[in-house]
Amino acid sequence: MNVAPRIGARVFAFAIAMAWLATVVTEHAQLTPSYALLVSETAPAAVDRGVRDLDPPRRPRTDMTSPTVDDAEPFVRGSVIVRFRAGTSVEARRALLARVDGTAAAPPSYAPFDMVSIDPSADPEAVARRLDAQPDVEYAQARYRVYPRFTPNDPQYSRQWNYPAIDMERAWDINPGATPSVTVAVLDSGVAFRSGIMRYNAGEFQFFAGRQLGPTFPALGPIDVPFAAAPDLGGPERFVSPRDFIWETTNPFDLDGHGTHVSGTVGQLTNNGVGVAGMAFNVRIMPVKVIAGFWDLVFSSPQVGTDDLVARGIRYAVDNGAKVINMSIGRSGPSAPVVHEAIAYAVSRGAFVAVAGGNDFEDGNAIERFADFATDIEGMVAVGAVGRDGQRAFYSNTGAYIELAAPGGNSRVGGTSGGILQQTFDFDLVDTFLLGPAQFRAPRFDVFAYDFLQGTSMATPHVAGFAALLMQQGVTSPAAVEAVMKRYATDLGPPGRDDAYGYGLINPRGSLRGLGLAR
Amino acid sequence: MKGTTGAPRRFVKVAVAALLFAAPAHAQTDVTLRGFVDVGSQSFAAQRSFDAVLGGTRGPVFGGGVEVVLPQQIFVSLRASRFRRTGQRVFAFNNELFNLGIPVTVTIAPVELIGGYRFNYRSRLVPYAGAGVGWHRYDETSEFADANENVTDRFTGFHVLGGTELRIARWIGTAFDVEWATVPHAIGDHPNSVSREFRESNLGGVTVRVKLIVGR
Repeated sequence: MNVAPRIGARVFAFAIAMAWLATVVTEHAQLTPSYALLVSETAPAAVDRGVRDLDPPRRPRTDMTSPTVDDAEPFVRGSVIVRFRAGTSVEARRALLARVDGTAAAPPSYAPFDMVSIDPSADPEAVARRLDAQPDVEYAQARYRVYPRFTPNDPQYSRQWNYPAIDMERAWDINPGATPSVTVAVLDSGVAFRSGIMRYNAGEFQFFAGRQLGPTFPALGPIDVPFAAAPDLGGPERFVSPRDFIWETTNPFDLDGHGTHVSGTVGQLTNNGVGVAGMAFNVRIMPVKVIAGFWDLVFSSPQVGTDDLVARGIRYAVDNGAKVINMSIGRSGPSAPVVHEAIAYAVSRGAFVAVAGGNDFEDGNAIERFADFATDIEGMVAVGAVGRDGQRAFYSNTGAYIELAAPGGNSRVGGTSGGILQQTFDFDLVDTFLLGPAQFRAPRFDVFAYDFLQGTSMATPHVAGFAALLMQQGVTSPAAVEAVMKRYATDLGPPGRDDAYGYGLINPRGSLRGLGLAR
Repeated sequence: MKGTTGAPRRFVKVAVAALLFAAPAHAQTDVTLRGFVDVGSQSFAAQRSFDAVLGGTRGPVFGGGVEVVLPQQIFVSLRASRFRRTGQRVFAFNNELFNLGIPVTVTIAPVELIGGYRFNYRSRLVPYAGAGVGWHRYDETSEFADANENVTDRFTGFHVLGGTELRIARWIGTAFDVEWATVPHAIGDHPNSVSREFRESNLGGVTVRVKLIVGR
């Protein structure tokens, strides 16, 4: 089995689940006893099936530091590099070097040139120019400093077009992934943040799409479901204050995969020689489960994910130390003042909020709720999606509330690999309902793969991770974070702000550099 | 006894002795060439910008030069100086400043040509005033910058100055002067500049300095 792109399958599954949710879940929830028991704190080790058919990992870098530069000089003083022409005598070399008060040391290994010591107070560029002008010198130059251009060694990084698209490698030179002092709350379907075995009761259910009844799936009864932490998200120390508002527990297990994928873009471990990279790979992640996945519904979760839970989740996150809140969630329909108030509260408490702009452009482009608050809350942004061609993705909503654009993937440009690659569950072992009632079986949430997904859900964690970097860099006010993001955004579409891209594509490197005195 | 301690008292005695016994300023009957070094403090016109990036509106300036004094009590001097300070890049929003921790070093090195007039040359105290033109080299380098993101530029400015010279000995003098310089349209045009944010474009300012003069 390979790492099959699953965009179509996910969309299909999501649509079915939502339709079913809208019509049948309440009835079945009343019939099926609901429980979620943690029957074991441990579970078999997670299985990562995602890299086995890919390129061998590149050799890890041994030096990713960027030493401080004294006086910000681009070169090292006290020596220059000189390559004499073949046949130049030792006497001629000495005579040439004497003109610049230089002395040649023994050549270092693998170096067909001389390292010439000069007076540390001398300008090495000027010395090199003088030597370079001599006929016996092939070239001479100062010893310019070379800086790391952070390219993660994660073996699947080369398939993550989304980071080069926003110049993240140079942004990571400035701020390599923030630090654990910044907590990003992911309000989503949960996160694969720990291992354990949960016992659920899976009752019978029937798909129901519109007025069409689908197949009936048999009750599985009490089943023990294994969970594991996503290997590329890191160990328990990555996660703080987990909370599940769907099951009202402190174990926000992800029974969907969406939240795990989103968390990966926020802060997947990076440069660890495994899998893929994330935006702010040193932050702590706070998993806050406020929406139900398909299996939550099959297991008759007491909550299904509503405005109030979202609002509670927001307040919980900020009251427990989150500096950034990622909301790759939303809905259409009437406004949600309870969520508006919660977001305003979060911003007033110093948390920046990134919200998905919506995926319904081709389905009427209805106003995306939650995202629409961006126009009147400074410190919150609504995020549209672009594909690898840098153009608005076909699904990405447009509207006055779209403030920024980020890579969200577009399968119509570049096929499935035009999505955003992150680690999440192996959906073959999660979406067993796609196999039909005969092969329907209990899911597993301890087997992982790397999947391309697309959506403004995928774009939003780029902005949340970016906000974490800015917070770490010193821009601590949510309103200022929004302002700096807008100021440095790369304008797309018609000049100036527009409804498709907002102020443009995020520009982390330019934003992190900020302002100099003259440039 | 309260008041001055030993060291200041000694300094006062030396100063008084210098005033009493130093030779008067040389009668300007021929052309004299003098050298000088100086140290001063410059207060920049672009106060908000310098304060934001360099953490202050003023800084030390070190310089030196040569001066020709003509019999007509006119002097012409050529002076070079240098200001250099490292601060950090910032982001400004709603009158709030966020330090980004990225080192940025600003170097300003003017070369100034000054012409002026020395009053009352027969006294030990010689007031003088002058004006001139300056060529200001401006360098700004930041960590993580690409080559085109650093700045090396030159601007022309004008200045006026006034001060008083005090002869300490036959070949030694000192002076205190104040210079006002304007270097218009030097900064504030780049979108990545805090000076544009604050609408400040003048690289000049006011410098007070003390000079040590060697020569008659």
